[in-house]
Amino acid sequence: MYSVEADNLIKRYGSSEALRGVSFRVSEGEIFGIIGPDGAGKTSIFRILTTLILPDGGSARVLGLDVVQDYHGIRRRVGYMPGRFSLYQDLSVEENLRFFATLFGTTIEENYDLVKDIYSYLEPFRKRKAGALSGGMKQKLALSCALIHKPDVLFLDEPTTGVDPVSRKEFWTMLRRLREQGLSIVVSTPYMDEATLCDRIALIRKGIFLDTDTPADIISKFTLPLLAVSGPHMPSLLRDIRLIPQVFSCFAFGDTHHVVMRPGELSLEAQINFLNTALHAKGHSGLSIKPIRPNVEDCYMYLDTLEEHS
Amino acid sequence: MGRMKDFKRFMSFVGKEFNHILRDTRTLMVLIVMPVVMIVLFGFALSTEIKDVKVAVYDPSRDAATSRLISQIDASEYFTVTAFIDSEEGVLEAFRSNSADIALVFEDNFYHRAVHDSDGRLQVIVDGSNTNIGSMAVFYVSSIVSSFQKELAQEAALNQAAAGGSSSSAEAVPSVQIHTSTRMMYNPQMKSAFNFVPGVMGMILMLVCAMMTSVSIVREKERGTMEVLLVSPVKPFSVILAKAIPYFVVSAFILLTVLCLSVFLIKVPISGSLMWVVLVSLLFILVSLSIGILISTLVAKQEVAILISGMVLMLPTMLLSGMLFPIESMPKVLQWISWCVPAKWYIDSIKVMMIQGLGIRYCLDAVLILCGFLTVITGLSVFKFKDRL
Repeated sequence: MYSVEADNLIKRYGSSEALRGVSFRVSEGEIFGIIGPDGAGKTSIFRILTTLILPDGGSARVLGLDVVQDYHGIRRRVGYMPGRFSLYQDLSVEENLRFFATLFGTTIEENYDLVKDIYSYLEPFRKRKAGALSGGMKQKLALSCALIHKPDVLFLDEPTTGVDPVSRKEFWTMLRRLREQGLSIVVSTPYMDEATLCDRIALIRKGIFLDTDTPADIISKFTLPLLAVSGPHMPSLLRDIRLIPQVFSCFAFGDTHHVVMRPGELSLEAQINFLNTALHAKGHSGLSIKPIRPNVEDCYMYLDTLEEHS
Repeated sequence: MGRMKDFKRFMSFVGKEFNHILRDTRTLMVLIVMPVVMIVLFGFALSTEIKDVKVAVYDPSRDAATSRLISQIDASEYFTVTAFIDSEEGVLEAFRSNSADIALVFEDNFYHRAVHDSDGRLQVIVDGSNTNIGSMAVFYVSSIVSSFQKELAQEAALNQAAAGGSSSSAEAVPSVQIHTSTRMMYNPQMKSAFNFVPGVMGMILMLVCAMMTSVSIVREKERGTMEVLLVSPVKPFSVILAKAIPYFVVSAFILLTVLCLSVFLIKVPISGSLMWVVLVSLLFILVSLSIGILISTLVAKQEVAILISGMVLMLPTMLLSGMLFPIESMPKVLQWISWCVPAKWYIDSIKVMMIQGLGIRYCLDAVLILCGFLTVITGLSVFKFKDRL
């Protein structure tokens, strides 16, 4: 049985379509990542699955329960962490956790082993007001609160947005540990580097999934040569590369520009030479152009550009 | 088991709400200080302490009794006789020129009428536009007159004993009677500081209950905590109910404060039944809470909630409840609109019970209308309540 099944979900807000037919399955004990920029429709998916909003089309089941008909049953058995920090800032760490435990008819003591890995970070600050915690601490508290009732599925909407890199890493370590305990986790993130930490990911763009697969398979589907270009004048370099008609796409990526050439008969060597000559003609010198292995972000950008062109 | 858990859950909600209220010290101060300030302000601004009230006298009889009574009134710290006028028409002139606040109009042959006919007539005319002075002035004049009446009676008895010699018990002592009648000019209903207290009560309770409840529910929506609460086994309406309880307690506390301040500080008597005043007030608190809940089901932003409770509730409450202006003298349309203002009915019934000292049956219609409001508004908010976003 799947923990989550979504079939052709459609959601409209007025005239704009937030979801244009989204389908996916999440197996038990799987971390399923929804990767995409803000405004792609991630939150709408979460809100439909947590029964907070009704889909305008399609259907979805969580733990075999229909999100429209059996929403009471779903609400009992899922843990949900919304995108914004949604705990009571004026209550202390402990009061928040105790409140959410009581909300689900349980106690902190009863399910302490579930949250102890996470809550142990917070325990020294348990008298502190939630509003006075750092971003990373807030997320840990929110995760503890979402876990305290021993849910079967966890929905985490951008849990690491606005969190420092160390806390982000810790957070993902916790998620993987929870998965080992058999919990299914649906998580969204705008950070592409987090995608590889998921078992399977869906790349979402403007309300549709570009692709759904394991991170490795998504990367292996990217067969075009990818070139990393760098030089002394990066901003003008980016502009000039994009002006070359044979370039399919070019994006600034850290301290290099990632370039994909239009598919043709040119070999990798020939592509590098072509690019070098073309850029020299535009006055760029001291360039470094070398082939690199694509990552999830490259795949996303490629699919995104492909979609844009069609 | 399940019911026990439900109850525990509900109580933890209520506890959480109390925590929210008690930790938000600024709001708490507003909640407690505002009613105190308002009552004290209105109480003292419209102080009932009177001193040196200017008295105009029309005394056609000019006998021993009238001149003694006039000098007694003049001697009291409350009054200063400022003008003797020649005709009853002079009263209006004295009021207009502001040379008098009240006027004493004696009848002709006052002493003789008072002592022998037991029917001395004295009319006290009050400039009602000065609401502070009116009722108190009348009260003080009456008490001076009644003690003067006793004096006269004693003298009359002594005179009789001296003249007749035989103070036979068969012959009745002539009873001296002075009838004081009061006439209000310009403001016959005498809207005074006393009448302000029910108005302030209505306004404060409406403000605290409706505004605070709606804001605190909408805050949960705005902060996103409502989202988390909805994705839980708790019944959404009990979230709302749990919010209403602490504010009910706070409002009851405010009611107590306001009543104590009114009685002990500005000395507004509760002439009617205290129990009914409190019960009707609690009913009005419930109505206001239900309005707050209804607002919270309709809006998504705290500012909007404040705006609605401020503009849509406060303004009509102040203007159309009869607190500032008498409703009877408003255009018909406004009178009809005023019927839709719950505070109007509350203030009406509190006036009846607190100021006029009449029983609950004299304001039963207002109380029933409040019950009607409660039912309709609660029904509407249950109907409008969404257990999704």
